[in-house]
Amino acid sequence: MTRTLMAAALAATTALVMPVAAQERGGTMNFARYDGSRLIDPIYADRNPDIWMVGSLFDTLLRSSDDGKSIVGGLAESFEVSEDGKTVKLMLQSGLKFADGSALEADDVLFSLDRARNGDLGPWSGMLGSVSDVTADGNTITVSLSQPDPTILSMLATFNTAIVNKDVFEAAEGATDQEKSAAIFATASAGVGSGAFYMCGFEQGASMDFCANEHHWEMGADGKPLPYLDKVHFEIIPDDATRILKLQAGEVDAVEFVPFSRVAELDADPAINMNLYPSTRIIYSPINTRETRADGSANPLNDVRVRQAINYATNKDALIGLVLQGAGQPMTAPLMSSSTRLASKLDLYSYDMDKAMALVKEAGIEAGTKVTLTTLAGSSDDATIFAALQQMWAPLGIDLVVEQVDGATRGAKNRSGEFDIHTYGWVDDVNDPSQVTGWLGYSPVRNAVGTGWESDKFNALFEASGTEMDQAARAQQYADMQKIYADAAPLLFMYETPFSVAVSTAVDGYVQTPLGANIFSRATVSK
Amino acid sequence: MAGLQYVLKRLALMVPTFVLVMIIIFLLVRLLPGDPAIAIAGDKASDADLAAIREKLGLNDPLLVQFWLFFTNTLQGDLGRSIMMRTSVSSVIIERLPTTGFLALFAVSLSLLIAGPLAFVAALNRGRWPDTVIRTVFQVGLSMPVFYIGLILLTFLAAQLRWFPVGGSGDGFFGQLYYLFLPSMTVALYTSAIIMRNLRAAIIEVLDAEYVQFARAKGLPNRLILGRHVLRNALISTITLLGLSIGNLMSGTLVTETVFAVPGLGRLMLEAIFARDYPLIQGLTLTFAILVSVVFLLTDLFQSLLDPRMRLT
Repeated sequence: MTRTLMAAALAATTALVMPVAAQERGGTMNFARYDGSRLIDPIYADRNPDIWMVGSLFDTLLRSSDDGKSIVGGLAESFEVSEDGKTVKLMLQSGLKFADGSALEADDVLFSLDRARNGDLGPWSGMLGSVSDVTADGNTITVSLSQPDPTILSMLATFNTAIVNKDVFEAAEGATDQEKSAAIFATASAGVGSGAFYMCGFEQGASMDFCANEHHWEMGADGKPLPYLDKVHFEIIPDDATRILKLQAGEVDAVEFVPFSRVAELDADPAINMNLYPSTRIIYSPINTRETRADGSANPLNDVRVRQAINYATNKDALIGLVLQGAGQPMTAPLMSSSTRLASKLDLYSYDMDKAMALVKEAGIEAGTKVTLTTLAGSSDDATIFAALQQMWAPLGIDLVVEQVDGATRGAKNRSGEFDIHTYGWVDDVNDPSQVTGWLGYSPVRNAVGTGWESDKFNALFEASGTEMDQAARAQQYADMQKIYADAAPLLFMYETPFSVAVSTAVDGYVQTPLGANIFSRATVSK
Repeated sequence: MAGLQYVLKRLALMVPTFVLVMIIIFLLVRLLPGDPAIAIAGDKASDADLAAIREKLGLNDPLLVQFWLFFTNTLQGDLGRSIMMRTSVSSVIIERLPTTGFLALFAVSLSLLIAGPLAFVAALNRGRWPDTVIRTVFQVGLSMPVFYIGLILLTFLAAQLRWFPVGGSGDGFFGQLYYLFLPSMTVALYTSAIIMRNLRAAIIEVLDAEYVQFARAKGLPNRLILGRHVLRNALISTITLLGLSIGNLMSGTLVTETVFAVPGLGRLMLEAIFARDYPLIQGLTLTFAILVSVVFLLTDLFQSLLDPRMRLT
């Protein structure tokens, strides 16, 4: 099994030792997706199939390093943060161009960052909440902050701050920003972005094409602009089995979201490389911690001992074996995947039935106590999780029953608190733990992922970490938050899973980053 | 003239049907749990974002106001804007309709091509081994879920033998014939089993009828008896069944188009339901209702052509 740690790094390393003439170029990579993009605009992309494609069409000023641990230059060749942490200066590379050949200038940066932080537009504007002003002097961009913000560099490396072509955008049809954005996307207009590709074909819900941007600033191993491919053709195939058959029949070069039950089979196929890319994806179950359920009945899960007990009684290794066929690992950092920066490495409720039994006894749980697990209808993973948990928790006296709903209903239940426990998952959008920590634990944001759990101490730490520029102090704040969260157990902590992408052996250099972004710029397909 | 009056009367009767469909689907989609605003903005959206989206989509208006807007706009040919596609519902439907239409017609044609001759062979060999074999094979086809038949065909004919593409819809007439053969065949195998059983029974019944016995006694050639008397009369009930099957086939496209990655109306409906895309669900349901009504009308007209006793009144 190919465990791709950071294929981009590998590709870059390989490129250094390979003779220039050996670099393969041209051709089309056919990629089968589970769902289609609906709008790839940095500020409006709000679903993973959109977000994960932004980086191919639009560049950001900064980027995450290959190992995800630091921030490096992108469109900006250098950057510096002032000592008081309230100013970031970025120096744009010279000679930058959009895909239509027009110059990428400071005006485009100002326009893009103003769009990104406009609270009336996209849903991500809050991520730039500390930005008070953005100005330009020649190629120097100055981002002024109202308060020190330790996340600002990560935010400038995040998809929503990618740079769009001001002239192309303003000239697009439509009276509002949203209409212009939709018009540009619908017509597959070249030149709005400066990414390695531009969109050159789109059929809603069926297919999409990315063509190589010959003006791209980033160079390949042969000294010519990336990407190596001429084109990436995407086909939308929601059915897992059909997607895989397409690959086996040689009709596509890669398929994403391979069910883990099929990983071993594809790994054994000599014509296929089964890649499991490390991800920030965690699978967990929010627990309703409120004193009473939505129907007014007493909620046994309000007692922290019961929540701890079900965590101890859950054999994560067994779940990973059943659901992921072993392709995962138990969560060790309570608020995030272990690959995220500032993640703690804790012994997070390792399977211990004795402790679990003692805790429920202490909490006075009676045999036959009904708890409902809300799962996604049609999800075989969720069905397996339910069957396993039902068995695992039965000795505690918990009678687990299932309620199957679709995604929209589950989301509504999470918001209204009409659930006991439900399956859920998360992938970071930002290379900083603040997003996932705010989502899971900071109660003013969505009631700590709908659990209703609230800790003043946790909230105070989270708020303080938002302006803490000292790295060591911030790390300590995150360690403290993770400890508090682990003890309170507002989640059933389950496991981390990789991104499973199967590619033909003809494909090389394709990467899916821990944040989920699909990177095609260094991909090649052997002819 | 009577025929034209009949058609106009039937078309007029469709109007209250469509109004009823509009009321039912409007209420049903709103009874579904789940919030379109969450489907649009995602689980991570703040409550304020969701409130803004609801306001923008008019979801905060009273139901009666929402329905009246939907009703009057539909009468003017405006089905609204799709929430998930960010474009007009009519344009999305017009874009996808030809593919589903092609799939449906192809599947019906294949069903008739398979069921017709085999029903004759089975009926003419009633109780003998060809009859038994044909009925047994079709019984198996009838008892298997459509998606399973589809996966078997995909695995053997597409992935292994590579005679057909695994998914997609193809371009142009011949491209579509090639790409949509397997999905059409999947539907046809199921539909033809129903048609074959019905047609076989009808043929047997007609073969025993006195007028057929009389024709035989008169010494009419067998070919003429089967073509003019048996087939024509046996087809009457089968045409009704075929009409109903096309109605079922429309809902069957939800599964077939998903398994075969065909970008048609069925798959779109499934996506719209999951995304709680109210305007698109309403537009698609209305489209399906129109298509089924037209098919039923054509079925009745065709029946009257086959059997002059069925007066068009």
